Amino acid sequence: MTISTPVIFDCDPGIDDSIALLGAFVAPELDILAITPVCGNQPLDRTVRNALQICELGGRADIPVHAGCHRPLCREPIHGQFHGTTGLGSTVLPDPSKTVEPTTAVEALIAHLGRAARGERSKITMCCLGPLTNLALALRICPEIAGGIDRIVMMGGAFREPGNRTLTSEFNMLADPHAAQIVFAAGVPMTTLGLDATHQVMLLPDHVAMFAQKSGRISQTVAELMAFWDRNDVRRYGSRGGPLHDPLVTAWMLSPNFFESAPARVFVETESPLCLGQTVADWYGKSGEPANVDVVTKVDAQGVIDLYLDLMSRYEERGAA
Amino acid sequence: MTVTRIIIDTDPGVDDAAAIWLALASPEIELLGVTTVAGNVPLEATYANACRIVGLSGRADVPVMAGARGPLLRDQVFGKYAAIGAFPKALVPDSGMTSSDENAVAFIARTARGAAREGRPVTICAIGPLTNVAMALRLHPEVAQGIERIVVMGGAFRALGHRTPWAEFNVYADPHAAQIVLGSGVPITMFPLDVTLQALFTATHIEELREQGGAPGCALARLLTEFDRSDPEKYGRPGGPLHDPMTIAWLVAPELFSGRRAAVGVQVGGSTSGHTYADFNDSQARTTVMTDVNEPGYIALVVDRIAALGAAPERTAQEETKK
Repeated sequence: MTISTPVIFDCDPGIDDSIALLGAFVAPELDILAITPVCGNQPLDRTVRNALQICELGGRADIPVHAGCHRPLCREPIHGQFHGTTGLGSTVLPDPSKTVEPTTAVEALIAHLGRAARGERSKITMCCLGPLTNLALALRICPEIAGGIDRIVMMGGAFREPGNRTLTSEFNMLADPHAAQIVFAAGVPMTTLGLDATHQVMLLPDHVAMFAQKSGRISQTVAELMAFWDRNDVRRYGSRGGPLHDPLVTAWMLSPNFFESAPARVFVETESPLCLGQTVADWYGKSGEPANVDVVTKVDAQGVIDLYLDLMSRYEERGAA
Repeated sequence: MTVTRIIIDTDPGVDDAAAIWLALASPEIELLGVTTVAGNVPLEATYANACRIVGLSGRADVPVMAGARGPLLRDQVFGKYAAIGAFPKALVPDSGMTSSDENAVAFIARTARGAAREGRPVTICAIGPLTNVAMALRLHPEVAQGIERIVVMGGAFRALGHRTPWAEFNVYADPHAAQIVLGSGVPITMFPLDVTLQALFTATHIEELREQGGAPGCALARLLTEFDRSDPEKYGRPGGPLHDPMTIAWLVAPELFSGRRAAVGVQVGGSTSGHTYADFNDSQARTTVMTDVNEPGYIALVVDRIAALGAAPERTAQEETKK
């Protein structure tokens, strides 16, 4: 690829977010315009700090980080359960010297996407790894910005697969179901990597051992993050290891041929106490509404692992970016 | 005299127009900006109407901003007079005023954050659906810190709703936004239908505005004549209510009103979406629900002040009221 694709990473780092970002940092195919952390896996101050630290770890302090929404639109905040107390497992990174931008994430999204919508720059792909609060609020404040989005590629939802945070619901959807509803209704081309996809790519202990060997100067950190990610729950996942949720978004951007998807109309439950955040896919036109999301159904797991081994190997030389 | 710095978030709307003119006619109030939201009529019409309301009073220095095109989540509903859209120009002349390009939500957030940093919080009079205010509160935690109080026209407790049997229009039109605002921790003063329906403006008051008023007073008289708000069968006597100006009147003359602390909730979704309920026995409650108004005092304040606005064109509105 000669021209890199402009992207914004909207995320809540988070261990798997961090792996997704570290992969994206060394991919010349991606031009990362901004990172917009949101309240999600951790409270906002933590996801912002983690984003700054991961930028510095990856040698990409040049990427602006804009702090996002401090809480979901309507529901009370919930946080992730598998990211440790800091959001980066047991990994301790130096205090960041990089600072957060003065403008908020929502303002930054409106500015970038607004320019694209007005034809002042090329359209932007939104890589969404967390609850969708930032993008939903930006779309509601300034609906015109939808025209500046080339595609939304998101990690979220559980379709034929059961939920992870509750029996019915995947964490990002559950953490802000109202935001998800707004984004799904935005009329923008959209691909989602739900649990149906991410549970196909288990990061096994053997893989972790390989990343520990091959990730150059960040080997120790990558291995720590990945080792912490092991759910050690064979009954649930069929093996050791942890599902590689957010990194699949970066992988889809770089190698879409690893993925198969099917178009569906996706609805999000916003009221039920039992099923809050459930995503329901209408694959067969039962609702009478047109498909709005390409739901990823099948992943070449080995291809994704090999892709990440290749990406992480680019950290071989100090400061590689 | 302490001057209260306010933003009016509004969906004009006839009674919204009266609220904006009352604010412009009151030296106790510094109007920092008028932010518009879809509600009574679509956004383009609320924005155009707000520009004409402010323009007619000769206060082109007060910025008018357009905000949310629709509610956060529910399907859009408009007010009873939605078909009218923008005010007919024969009723409210167009001064040709155009205003700020800034987004209404961005303006509220920017103003409140600035106020928080200066330690001079602003008051928001929210007299339409609460979409703009809710989104501003979600943008940044500093926004809530910069708001001293939100004075809301909305809700119905003992009174029946007017849009549906169970809900008042502003809450019904965006119940999620109302829930966000009520849960924000910012002190709230609420003017529900229970109190706004206690003061009815009659033909006599409209005549007074027409005879004594400047351009805004005469325009209000024309609006109240064209869109008759009276309903003797419903209200049991002649005259029609002006809901929204109560929020401004309370800031100017709180002695005209009484209210009680209450914990207020909103039903979001379901068959009674938009219903508001109040627990008057909650000792922790931070919301004040207004319950009673001195009717003649309120009406006199609204009529006299708006009539005086622009009545002597060489004077500014503020000098006029000090006279």
